[in-house]
Amino acid sequence: MMVFVTHLLIALLGVVAGIVFGAIPGMTATMAVAVFLPMTYAYDLDTALFLLLGLYVGGISGGLVPAILINIPGTPSTITTPFDGYPMAKRGEGERALKIGITASLVGGLISHLCLWLFTPLLSSAALKFSSVEKFLIILFALTVIAALSKGQMLRGIFAGFLGVLTSLCGMFSVNNAYRMVPGFLKAKMQDGFQLLPVLIGLFAIAQIFQEAEEGMRFKVEKTENENKEASVFSLKDFKGQGVNLIRSSLIGTFMGILPGVGGSAASILAYAQAKNFSKHPEKMGTGVAEGLIASESSNNGLTGGALIPLLSLGIPGDSTTAVLISAFMLQGIQVGPLFITQHPDTWNTILIALLVCNILMFLCMFYPIKWSSKIIYIPRQRLYPIIIMICIVGAYATKNGRIFDVWTLLAFGLVGYIFGKIKIPASCYLIGFILGSDLENYFIQSISASNGSLMVFFTRPIGWVIWVLIFASIAYAIMDDRKSKKKALS
Amino acid sequence: MINVVYSTEHWIVPKIVIAVLVILLVAIIVTEGMARVKAGDSFFGKPKAFFIENYDRIKLWGTLLLFVAYIACLDVIGFTVTSIIFVFLFNVLYAGTKKRPVILSAVLAVVSSLVISILFGVVFNITLPNGLCTITLVDLGVTIY
Repeated sequence: MMVFVTHLLIALLGVVAGIVFGAIPGMTATMAVAVFLPMTYAYDLDTALFLLLGLYVGGISGGLVPAILINIPGTPSTITTPFDGYPMAKRGEGERALKIGITASLVGGLISHLCLWLFTPLLSSAALKFSSVEKFLIILFALTVIAALSKGQMLRGIFAGFLGVLTSLCGMFSVNNAYRMVPGFLKAKMQDGFQLLPVLIGLFAIAQIFQEAEEGMRFKVEKTENENKEASVFSLKDFKGQGVNLIRSSLIGTFMGILPGVGGSAASILAYAQAKNFSKHPEKMGTGVAEGLIASESSNNGLTGGALIPLLSLGIPGDSTTAVLISAFMLQGIQVGPLFITQHPDTWNTILIALLVCNILMFLCMFYPIKWSSKIIYIPRQRLYPIIIMICIVGAYATKNGRIFDVWTLLAFGLVGYIFGKIKIPASCYLIGFILGSDLENYFIQSISASNGSLMVFFTRPIGWVIWVLIFASIAYAIMDDRKSKKKALS
Repeated sequence: MINVVYSTEHWIVPKIVIAVLVILLVAIIVTEGMARVKAGDSFFGKPKAFFIENYDRIKLWGTLLLFVAYIACLDVIGFTVTSIIFVFLFNVLYAGTKKRPVILSAVLAVVSSLVISILFGVVFNITLPNGLCTITLVDLGVTIY
């Protein structure tokens, strides 16, 4: 009982902190999880999971507050929320809009939770039959899917993914203990390459700070319109006739979450577009109707459960936030992958419970005190960034029990992330490549060693063929979609 | 056919990945160059400025400089004192040098550094960078880094 109360309090802390990060524009759920990860060094895995999932759910949900009130998406996954949310706030219906968004978020989270519960064991048991050949092909598939969804940026997406793979290979190869791509003076420090945590916090937290420093950190927050008391009353009637929209958008979010490297903005855009396609009054979308708001918010919370499915069944993270979760598992000495559920049934149950608890806590923390808590968006970021820098340094330093080298890695990848933003290389694709790189190499070497160097081994197994079909389908889709979005950009 | 030789197998995958990257890079340059030609521009286009127009030089370069100095001082001075100094400097850099913001910066720097240092170093027992100003209170068995 005591344990559960502790877990509940930790989850509450995570959810509230996540909402704060999500609600402050420019700060994301990934940043929230990355910044708080060092705290989990002190906890056991169960407690850590409650904290991290709380941060994840809170961070994804918090973004709707500035999206609705000041027309700025708090996180990338709320990109279509302002389309209908802001017009409502302008009419003085801010509170109603927020409450519709929060309720839709809860439904999205719960539906994706159900998918996680049902599909992860299925996918795991299929993946159990995988040999190193299929495992290699699955990772290759993950890298091509990244490209398929990098809207008009297909080649850059693949390029970023492979660049990430190359970066992860720096260091010592475990089979013959030989170094590659490491300058002599760093050999002692780079035995196992760059550590995931400093790379990740660098790319997603420090890079953001550099970018905003360049822009001068001038944040102007406009005061929102006065509330119109009568129009701003939320009632469940707002959801009348929206059942299909709710379920469809949640499932779109969940599905987009499963695909690696896609991220929340794509889920939100796709769900909004579909809601418009199927709407009885498509002309009203964008003028402040509940429909658009519901589509965007249920889809982005659908991501949370979806992104955990490939993480837990295949060991492939669905987005940058779940990529941080992988390092949390590694810190606790647990390997996620096909064997995870059978080997750690208790942890699997904890994840399901924690995710459910966090969704409900998110709803309670946001729905009732929304009038008061929506003030978070006025917290000045220039006061938070110095503290975030300090916490990131703590996290990086502690990665391998205290090495300054990892702190330099943090700064270096902060600059890398900042430069990537300038030359339009998607950092999330790069990160997925970085995480999967060493597995990709190991499975490839294992496969060709077993076949005495013949590359035909990748084409001889039936499950392998299925994955090849998926790989080619994703590339074909990528090329078609790339052309379409380029044509659109021209016209 | 790839020969897996023990002494050189650590280069097999990196070489393939580098080859893929070169092919992709050429493909990116060609397709984007062609698109520019089609749009009536020259193949390589006009070089774009790296920084945004009128970027904030002091804040950007200041951030980099402070960051480097912060890391360099960490295991010389010790975490807590270094953090108080640099969190203060970052605050001043971002929030300005007028009197009231500076006082707030100082308060924030001291409070946040102490809270983080005690929370992580003492309560969670996580190793923080130590240096000249690290104190170990033997009686309490506590180290303030």
